[in-house]
Amino acid sequence: MASRLVIVGAGMAAAYLLQELAAREHTWHITLIGEERDACYNRVMLSAVLAGETPDAELQMLPAGRLQDGVTLLANSRVCAVDTQTQTVFTDSGDVVAYDKLVFATGASVASPGLVTDGLAGVRVLRTLDDVRYLRELQATGRRALVVGGGLLGLEAAHGLNAMGFDTAVIHRQHHLMNRQLDARGGDYLRQKMADSGIRFHLGASVRALHGCDGELSAVTLQDGRQLDCELLLFATGIEPRSALARDAGINCGRGILVDPQLQTSARNCYALGECSQLGSRCFGLVAPIKAQAAVLAAQLCGDAAARFVLEDWPVQLKISGIEIFSAGSLGAAGEQLVLLDEAAGVYRRLVLQGDRLVAAVLVGDKRDGIWYAQLIRNATDISRYRPGLMFGRAVSEAMQVSAIAA
Amino acid sequence: MTQCRTTCPYCGVGCGVTAEVHSDNVVTVAGDRQHPANAGRLCVKGTTLAETLTPEGRLLHPVVRGERTSWDSALDQVAQQLQSVRQQYGPGSVAFYLSGQLLTEDYYVANKLMKGFLGSANVDTNSRLCMSAAVAAYQRAFGADYVPCSYSDLEESDLVVMVGSNAAWTHPVLYQRLVESRKADSRKQTVVIDPRGTASSEAADMHLQIAPGSDAYLFVGLLNYLSATGKLDQWYIQSHTTGLGDALALAAAMTPSVVAAMTGLEVRQVEQFYRLFGDTEKVVTLYSQGVNQSATGADNCNAIINCHLVTGRLGRPGMGPFSITGQPNAMGGREVGGLANQLAAHMGFSDSDIERVARFWNAPDIARSPGLKAVDMFRAVEAGEIRFLWIMATNPAVSMPDTAQVRRALDNCEFVVLSDCVGDTDTAACADVLLPAMGWGEKSGTVTNSERCISRQRALLPAPGEARPDWWMVTQVAQRLGFAAAFDYQHPADIFTEHARLSGFGNAGSRDFDISALAGFSEAEYEQMEPTYWPCPATPTPGAPVVEGRFHTASGAANIVAVNPALPVFAADSAHLPTLNSGRLRDQWHTMTRTGRVPRLMRHRDFYSVALSPADALAQGLAEHDLVSVQAGEASVTALVRIEEAMPQGQVFSPIHWSNRFAGSACVNTLIPAVTDPVSGQPQLKYSRVSLSAVPVSGWGLLLTRSLPELPGLAYWSRIAVGDGHLTLFAIAAATPVTDVHQALLLSLQRGGVRNSSYQDAGLHDYRDIGIEAGQLQYACYLNAERQRLPDRDWLCTQLAAVGVDDRVSLLAGFDPDIPSVGRMVCTCWEVGERAIQEAVSAGARSVESLGQQLRCGTQCGSCVPELKRMLLVATG
Repeated sequence: MASRLVIVGAGMAAAYLLQELAAREHTWHITLIGEERDACYNRVMLSAVLAGETPDAELQMLPAGRLQDGVTLLANSRVCAVDTQTQTVFTDSGDVVAYDKLVFATGASVASPGLVTDGLAGVRVLRTLDDVRYLRELQATGRRALVVGGGLLGLEAAHGLNAMGFDTAVIHRQHHLMNRQLDARGGDYLRQKMADSGIRFHLGASVRALHGCDGELSAVTLQDGRQLDCELLLFATGIEPRSALARDAGINCGRGILVDPQLQTSARNCYALGECSQLGSRCFGLVAPIKAQAAVLAAQLCGDAAARFVLEDWPVQLKISGIEIFSAGSLGAAGEQLVLLDEAAGVYRRLVLQGDRLVAAVLVGDKRDGIWYAQLIRNATDISRYRPGLMFGRAVSEAMQVSAIAA
Repeated sequence: MTQCRTTCPYCGVGCGVTAEVHSDNVVTVAGDRQHPANAGRLCVKGTTLAETLTPEGRLLHPVVRGERTSWDSALDQVAQQLQSVRQQYGPGSVAFYLSGQLLTEDYYVANKLMKGFLGSANVDTNSRLCMSAAVAAYQRAFGADYVPCSYSDLEESDLVVMVGSNAAWTHPVLYQRLVESRKADSRKQTVVIDPRGTASSEAADMHLQIAPGSDAYLFVGLLNYLSATGKLDQWYIQSHTTGLGDALALAAAMTPSVVAAMTGLEVRQVEQFYRLFGDTEKVVTLYSQGVNQSATGADNCNAIINCHLVTGRLGRPGMGPFSITGQPNAMGGREVGGLANQLAAHMGFSDSDIERVARFWNAPDIARSPGLKAVDMFRAVEAGEIRFLWIMATNPAVSMPDTAQVRRALDNCEFVVLSDCVGDTDTAACADVLLPAMGWGEKSGTVTNSERCISRQRALLPAPGEARPDWWMVTQVAQRLGFAAAFDYQHPADIFTEHARLSGFGNAGSRDFDISALAGFSEAEYEQMEPTYWPCPATPTPGAPVVEGRFHTASGAANIVAVNPALPVFAADSAHLPTLNSGRLRDQWHTMTRTGRVPRLMRHRDFYSVALSPADALAQGLAEHDLVSVQAGEASVTALVRIEEAMPQGQVFSPIHWSNRFAGSACVNTLIPAVTDPVSGQPQLKYSRVSLSAVPVSGWGLLLTRSLPELPGLAYWSRIAVGDGHLTLFAIAAATPVTDVHQALLLSLQRGGVRNSSYQDAGLHDYRDIGIEAGQLQYACYLNAERQRLPDRDWLCTQLAAVGVDDRVSLLAGFDPDIPSVGRMVCTCWEVGERAIQEAVSAGARSVESLGQQLRCGTQCGSCVPELKRMLLVATG
């Protein structure tokens, strides 16, 4: 009899895991339980879909048919409890599913803004395909949208809303955008570039209160007292791992579900991956580590007990409103600064050196050779011979090095 | 399309040029196959003549004290100043300083006005700086300024002795004629006498690398040797010369061993040369600035002439003492009398000459004694004795010795007029009035080359702006001074025919210079004039001058001038210091006012450098491309170091071309004291004692701009023209923070509408900035602690021409891995760089001919052939 694998959550982490399993020989009978009516779609691209830049069909992460083949999908189903003793999960709709191995892939939710929203219509998040469907139905032209949060998700959402026709503004608590991934100048470059497309920014600002009229949002008041009229407010104030289900099941949790390098939780036969997981003090929101987790977990499930998920400084690679962003290494590190500014093209690149080592790279608008920089950082390569061409990528660095020898 | 035959305005070879003028006034040039000087050949400078026809830097309107004005007003002011200064301070208070760049007609009118109507002989010319010693020597020997040789003599000669001449670079077409004659007959030999190894010496059969300025010892010793070994032509000496006894008495001490000691040669070398000279009948001694530009210039030339006189080796094919001039119309100036010690048309200041010229000109106030020669003229200007100075077509603020004195003089002078075709020279910066002159391709008249061949320069294009011929300006001023009747010229032909008439006036064989056969030219005949050799008298007199041993001395015999050789005059206590030598580069001309605008001509040598021997460089701790300060007293220049194997120890060589327009501190003549030859007034431009010191720098920069850049204080800068703009190499003094220079440059470069992009790595002093407007690069600036980290200049120069620049990042990289550098330009004619030549050599090319077949290098003007040979030698061991 085939063993039973139950995956709670049908988001991107689950999809990567299914992709990894499909690439291996295994005998699992898999049950995938998702809250949404849609499963295994690319959440990262939702704002592009909202902007009309990407067709809905391209969101699908698994080829048509893959979900049916040896996989049972329970959509529109929320798991309400897990019994780790009997190895059983229970859904709202009354399904009871036994497992031999259980994977938590419950993802994350938008962090609570800590504001009284009074159930006002027009106060939203952009997290699911249903959110997109809702927003797409709204009259955009002539209406004002505010996005709270100038991180990756907020900026992507703002880009989507702006493209729809909303008069869009972003409110961000910090003084530069994407403060977790970019330095001040990089954030400023990004702001200028996005401002070129008509988005306005309120930096160093936060929302104090919401105002409504007949149950509809009409304005917000900022901490500095300014009042901004708006018909739509989208929260993008960071994410929180969804660990409540595991915690209720008695599994050890921090902010997320605690796992070891084999991605095992504190409960026997229970694993976690993706945004809901936590290794040491680290939670995960980027694609690269989650894909790495999926590979390790698939190997574990296929009998490779030696597979380990190793923490790295994964470079951040993004694209917001057509602007490439890449960052790697420790941004705040002191050291010699190599800076390239090309305002006309919206290109900003900064490399930080400590002695003969590259320790950080921030690339905005042109992320060519980002992976090479990440390798140089990870391997602590001596870059002194590359230095004059380093900013301009591997080909120039190596050719300049050669020409210097020839000269 | 129209076709026009004209004459090249560069060196004294005077090559014929065929110019085609296409629609939109686009000009193409080629060598004139019909012209006797070059038979179709052109050197690289001549080949690029059309590229000098650029509006850049042209003076288009009269300017008085910085304000544009009308011709009438400018000429009124010039005439009024001239008049009032002369009335108040006398005829000696006014002067003209002319140029070998002027046409004979310009020269004639200026000379006539000053010497005939203003009563002053203060007319001198920059020819004083080139070959006045040669003129004085011919006059002393022959009684007339007669060059007794033709270019064909070089070809026919079995031995050519080149003294103080790097003709391979300075007179390339003539040199190619010489080389070809040697190719056809391998017995024909060439000896080069030059302290420095040059392109000419490399190709010679013998190179005598004498101590600077010791030329006369060698030739006085040769006279002694010829006498001692019975090589004298007693019949010629008896029939045609005088003075041998005194000359031999002075020469007696000059045995080969004494000569060897004075010249630094080995006795064996001296004897070998003497034997060769003594045993070869057909000898031409070709000499130039290296001999002339000396405090003993005239003696040097006479020492050479003596050896030809005592062997009777002149006036016959393949023989003679041949002075070759540097400028296109130095000879025309000499014929007119445009030197302060001449009156007109080979007449001097004897009573009979004065009377004859006064009668011909109907001159009311003719000068009765010689005027001040160039160096003395500028001294008199500084002393306030000359208060009105009109400079035509030259740049004395750069080309005179002790240029600091010349600049002081110009700054102090009450009224300085400059007529020139460009308005951005160092001299223009000192002038009160700038008059826009026509340049080559616009003006029309005649020039005479070094073999006495008169050729026409013809107009190809309309003059830009309000430019006028110099003769017209002088004529206009003369008319305003009340001399309208004597200056009623409507056309250059009017002037030329008057000049021709004067040459024949009361002549009857008494003066060599006689072109009266041309005096009857109609305008149409003048326009059609073919290259013509003088003398060409209306009534031929029996026997050609000199050739037949007929001299214009009092006795009718040639003078063998007794020469007591002397070494150059140097400052006391300078014996331990290196000697500075100066000269021309292959692709440059004078002070670069013309060639400096042609990008192609800036590729053989780009930025200002001085050459040192490897040993001296080592001793000074200098490496190639380091920065060196060359100092003489208070004056200094700052240059890149260029280490040349061929440089002798203890000597430094600087090119003469750079001015403040093209470099920060590169005017080599500031280092040259104004020591002159007492006989000719020729300054000793070839020698100075200098000290060298390394200049420490904190960084280097390369700046590409469309317009002339504004530069902050720098240790060094040197600028070249590139297509559509300028490229400046600079160095930052060690005491100046690189960031200061970077900031100052950005401030001057950035302006509205230009989008800037930058890269910086402060740790390496690596700052790169580019500006783009409407898809076109406006500027690019690269700073770096190390010069070799700056971008490849050839790659960079292509970027200004690029349309739709979209990859700013690779511009900032300053490097394109896909485009290999062409390297230094070796063959300028066909634009072949050293990389291609090196590749061809490594692929098996073993001769100049095979390189020429593959790459075309060396197949046009041939001036790169010595370099190609050297590269072959290096590559093949």
